[in-house]
Amino acid sequence: MERRAFLKAGGASLASALMGSGMLTWSARSEAATISQTLYITDGTKTMPDGVSVYVKGYGTTANTPLIPAPSIICQEGDTLSITVYNMLSVTHNLVIGGLVSGSAPIASTGDIAPGGNKTLTYTIPSGAAGSYLFYDNKTSYNRFLGLHGGLAIMPAGISNQLYSGSPTFVKQQFWILNDIDPALNTAVKNGTTIPTNFTPRYFTINGLSSRPPGAAGHGDPTIDALYDPRSRLSGHVGDRTLVRMLNTGMCSHAVHTHANHMEWLTDRGTIRPAVWKKDTLYLRNNLGKIDAIFPFEAPPDAYPPVTSGHFPMHLHDEMSQTAGGGLYQFGSMTELEFL
Amino acid sequence: MGMNGGSGGGGGGMGSACYVYPGAPATPGFVTPDVLFQRGIYMNGSMTFDDGNSVTIWGFTDLAAGGGGGMTGGSFPSPAMRVTEGQIVHTALTVNMMWMHTVHHHGIEPSQENDGVGHFSWDVTNGTYTYQWRPSHAGTYFYHCHTNTPLHAEMGMYGGLIVDPVPNPNDPPGTKRAFANGPIYDVEAIWAADEIDPAWHTLQWSAGTCGGDVGLNNLNPRYFIITGVDGASSALTNPGVAVTMQKGQRLLVRYICAGFHPQKIDFGGLTATVVASDGRPLPQAWQTTSIEAHSAERYDCIFQPTTTGTWTVTVTYYHWRSGAVLGTARTRINVV
Repeated sequence: MERRAFLKAGGASLASALMGSGMLTWSARSEAATISQTLYITDGTKTMPDGVSVYVKGYGTTANTPLIPAPSIICQEGDTLSITVYNMLSVTHNLVIGGLVSGSAPIASTGDIAPGGNKTLTYTIPSGAAGSYLFYDNKTSYNRFLGLHGGLAIMPAGISNQLYSGSPTFVKQQFWILNDIDPALNTAVKNGTTIPTNFTPRYFTINGLSSRPPGAAGHGDPTIDALYDPRSRLSGHVGDRTLVRMLNTGMCSHAVHTHANHMEWLTDRGTIRPAVWKKDTLYLRNNLGKIDAIFPFEAPPDAYPPVTSGHFPMHLHDEMSQTAGGGLYQFGSMTELEFL
Repeated sequence: MGMNGGSGGGGGGMGSACYVYPGAPATPGFVTPDVLFQRGIYMNGSMTFDDGNSVTIWGFTDLAAGGGGGMTGGSFPSPAMRVTEGQIVHTALTVNMMWMHTVHHHGIEPSQENDGVGHFSWDVTNGTYTYQWRPSHAGTYFYHCHTNTPLHAEMGMYGGLIVDPVPNPNDPPGTKRAFANGPIYDVEAIWAADEIDPAWHTLQWSAGTCGGDVGLNNLNPRYFIITGVDGASSALTNPGVAVTMQKGQRLLVRYICAGFHPQKIDFGGLTATVVASDGRPLPQAWQTTSIEAHSAERYDCIFQPTTTGTWTVTVTYYHWRSGAVLGTARTRINVV
């Protein structure tokens, strides 16, 4: 077991270990804690890159602003999660924590939360549960597409730098939560009309944002531009090995392609791979697919003369996902890999 | 992010193009290369399918071999590049002022300037930019244009890129290995499996870049091809795709998922020994009769059939959202 960086928490109840501004920060504890979080199911609109306003729902930390995705939660095996969810909307919702293995049943649920009501999910995390999880609304098959989703990282007990006990080590960790938006669905939900059965996504997001290339309005704004969103962008010096917890909450399968470095592929759909392959492109399944991989931040190996700094994209190679509204290449699901 | 070499970057762009970054600057740290590829582009090629229909194809030309530039045709896929680990390579891309293109050597990881991504460097136009790189890992790669990428890659602007290992001095001359100390092979096939949506093949090079719905979120392929050959029937016998080998020989199939939808390649009952993926050897070889892959993944597969016969290889293409089968492409391995 990793012996460094143990911090005594004394079993105290911790304000939720969430992070609104960037990468997941974590220090291992020698004792379990209760991780508390309050979320509000609310709705609103988001402006897409082509100016189209789309109805969304999300789990926010205030009663009137949806956050998409919800603030990430990080905890460790043995902790108890206590998530209280208020439903501010006029239809029933819920929050479940999806199973570790894609396709398996959720491990915890609030149960139905009536309009105006609230429920508290309490779940003590067993040993062996370390990994990456999506929490979301499964009251319908499509609520998560609307924005009702977030990431949960469960660390191995007492370990600060491994995905699971004995995994390759990292020094940073982040979520890439991918979603696809067909506004016809969102509009139907808003208006209470028939839900479409044949979705055609028109917008593609990573951690709730799309990219904006140089010259575009919002380029460089970390609240608009996924290239600069610190939740998404990987930024580091050579050696800053970064674990990326990729969760696909959307409709489409994706090919996650990093420039500059191959990734170390640790898990697929919640299952530890029998061997670590080095890949520049990873097949991230739809239907709640997930992948854990380490971006190693090695000097780009094929540069001549050698370099240790530069800026590169991570984009999805299913290139339809790099568009918005049927055009606008470079306004899709993409972020930046920054070698400092 | 920075480094755009062009005049003004996004917004208005040139003509009807937006968010393009025109440039053709000098290559930083330029040195004399070991290998030089001179690539032009063509924008008026075509591919005819087994049903008699055809679509416009764009691609890269080999200027050193007399390839034209611009309003001509050319080979599809584009001429392959083949280099040896450790060589300093130049890819000199020449584009006239009518268009913008880049070369991204997919899986090769050079400096930012030489990565061929327009908005991280420049879209080449009205001149030549020389991409300088030195491959450090043998394996299977491919190169493609990274300007308005959904359209330009779909239009055919890609070609194979093979990095061979440095020959082992202890091997007999002519020995071919997949990577240093990797498996020896006698016969090689490059299968780039792609899908074609004819509706996309009527668009102009900068379609959609200024906004407007040109359908680039929605690829509905009607044709399914392997290395530029229709997989409906032609690829079953086309000598550039179908393999004919002697019993006892070793075949290396370099499978490139060159489309945008996920695929599954089934080897028709043969068992592949997968030895590498994405230009990296696997820690342990993987035995399988089929592979599921998504856009731009590559798998290097060794076959050593022990009997004569014919095996039909089928690539099945699945819709990225629904998972519905969109179509298939087939070729063969003939062991004589």
